[in-house]
Amino acid sequence: MSISNLKEMSLAAGAVAVTAGTAGAAKKKAVDELIANIKDKSDKVRADGLLNAGGVGAPAVKPLAKVMDDDDFEVGRAGKRALWKIVRHAGRSRARDERRAVAAELTGLLGDDQPTSVRREVLWMLSEIGQRRSVEAIASLLSNKELREDARMVLQRIPGRQSLAALKDGLKSAPKDFKLNIAQSLRQRGVEVPGLACVKLVPTKKTNVKPVK
Amino acid sequence: MLFGTLLNVPELKQKGDRTMKRTNQLNRREFLAGAAAGAAAVSFPYLVPSGALAAQGRGGANERLTMAHIGVGGMGGYHLHDMVKRRDRGEVNIAAVCDADENRLVGAVKTAGKGVQPYRDYRYILERKDIDAVVIATPDHWHAVQMVHAAECGKHIYVEKPACCTIDEGKAMVAAAKKNKVSVQVGSQGRSQPEAYSAHAYIANGMLGTVRKVTCWHYASPVDNNPVPDSDPPAELDWDLWLGPMRWRPYNKRYCHGVFRWIMESGGGQIRDRGAHVMSNAIYFMDADNTGPVTVEATGILPTKGLWDTAIDMKVVYTFKDPDWQLIWNQPGEKIPYFDQEKRKRLGIRDSYGAVYHGDKDKLVVWVGDDQVFTELKAVNYKIPAGGKQVYKSPGHKEDWFQGIKTGKKTIMNIEAAVATANLCNLGNMSLILGRKLRWDPVKQEIIGDEQARRMMGRPQRHPYHL
Repeated sequence: MSISNLKEMSLAAGAVAVTAGTAGAAKKKAVDELIANIKDKSDKVRADGLLNAGGVGAPAVKPLAKVMDDDDFEVGRAGKRALWKIVRHAGRSRARDERRAVAAELTGLLGDDQPTSVRREVLWMLSEIGQRRSVEAIASLLSNKELREDARMVLQRIPGRQSLAALKDGLKSAPKDFKLNIAQSLRQRGVEVPGLACVKLVPTKKTNVKPVK
Repeated sequence: MLFGTLLNVPELKQKGDRTMKRTNQLNRREFLAGAAAGAAAVSFPYLVPSGALAAQGRGGANERLTMAHIGVGGMGGYHLHDMVKRRDRGEVNIAAVCDADENRLVGAVKTAGKGVQPYRDYRYILERKDIDAVVIATPDHWHAVQMVHAAECGKHIYVEKPACCTIDEGKAMVAAAKKNKVSVQVGSQGRSQPEAYSAHAYIANGMLGTVRKVTCWHYASPVDNNPVPDSDPPAELDWDLWLGPMRWRPYNKRYCHGVFRWIMESGGGQIRDRGAHVMSNAIYFMDADNTGPVTVEATGILPTKGLWDTAIDMKVVYTFKDPDWQLIWNQPGEKIPYFDQEKRKRLGIRDSYGAVYHGDKDKLVVWVGDDQVFTELKAVNYKIPAGGKQVYKSPGHKEDWFQGIKTGKKTIMNIEAAVATANLCNLGNMSLILGRKLRWDPVKQEIIGDEQARRMMGRPQRHPYHL
């Protein structure tokens, strides 16, 4: 390769790196701005921030998850609102790449390193845009006592063979107190589950109130 | 009672064996009752003239429906008071009251008096063979599940509006009512108001010409200006039961009571709360109970603080085809003050919501939409001419339901119409929170082409509080 070719290639690579770097910097700026806006005390600034949240997309997912866990519960709610805005924006038809990117970031938030409250909310976000790539991580939560019910419902909602298979596997390994729950989901997905009765009409809660004598 | 009275024949009370579906096997008592009631009773063999069995104006104990009340706060308390009066007039028995809040249950037991059993868990009520019908006035997220369960247990149902929170819930409710042959009345009582009849007759007889647009106005939803952190539920409230089918979240004072209306997953905001009244009348007057829009497009302002998440301001445009017309929900929109301010003050007419029907010849304003409906004098004074189109005049919302129970006729706010109304509300909210126009198939009752929106047509429910 000639020196001039090398020079050209090097310049081109440099331009790409600068562009990527510029784009990366722009995304970071957008994320930082979004976070600052949604935490602002002004209703108008927060509203504007939320309005534009969708377009910020996947790069904002993990930072917003952190905001959701803020000690100030109103700040936490603001983070949640913004993240839902991104999820709803990413779910547009013909936005497959955006949806996949957001879903991938969300799936990465299901690990034990995240607070239960954040994971619970993320599960429901995935119920709207999650696909087969998210199923394994969701299914792993079927053994988590605090999150298993949400994980079950989310698997019920996500269409496809993988989620159905995860529910069937979940039924096999579920403890006795959770089998009926999974059976309910399987029935909703059109699967017969013999041997596990539906208990929806079985009353269980007594009152302490007495009738008038 | 205007119509004859149902015989209390024990074998008719079994699950799934409702009076309206009995065919050939009349016993001697039923036969005599049918003969006494005349030709109409050939079609409705269980009718007995009111006076035949008891003193005039007061039914004998055997003919009374036995009711139970599920949810006795707010509107539930109103229904209980109403039913106590009916009991005092000899029209019904009241067997049970139920609430997840023990304080409310104590109050309900006092209101209902002796002989009424309190419950926390509505499923005890559904088990009882002596209970004919239930009034469901729990928060909106419970309506579908409790209605379906009640239908599956053979109970006739009065359920508060909105009928349902999701498209799939609505389908399940329609299917349950049909399969179990129970009478359902949904609490959009505006249709039963006298001036709703007047407005309906006026529009149906072409006095406005062809109506191409109906515009609603309704004041904005409140904002949660007093947000509080999550906390432990009060001792008297069964939080698990209150939540019911909704996904788990910690208790927060700003969820209940009454303010569940401003939670998207439950009340759905003004559009689902009062929209269920105003738009119910709209589709009724427009003869659109059995259809729906083809597109739904919403814009609006959602809260940026607090727990409540329903639209503060909102505009939704529903486009119908064949015939072509538009229904527009405006929140707040442009309020039209009632034309007689003295009457407005005297009667307490709430002109802060209503609808305008725009025809190519004229337009008509209909104020309010629920327990009050008022319209313009030209419609109030209108008499349907000979050969004109007759429209149904309700004897009263509960009376219409009782007739439905006893004769099998469709109620004025039957479950199909109520679901069609609720679908409008739910689709409006979905379009807003998704930030995009939705396409709707009114025949299949499905969203077209939007995977995320399609998933939101249903909502998985917490075990065991599921359809």
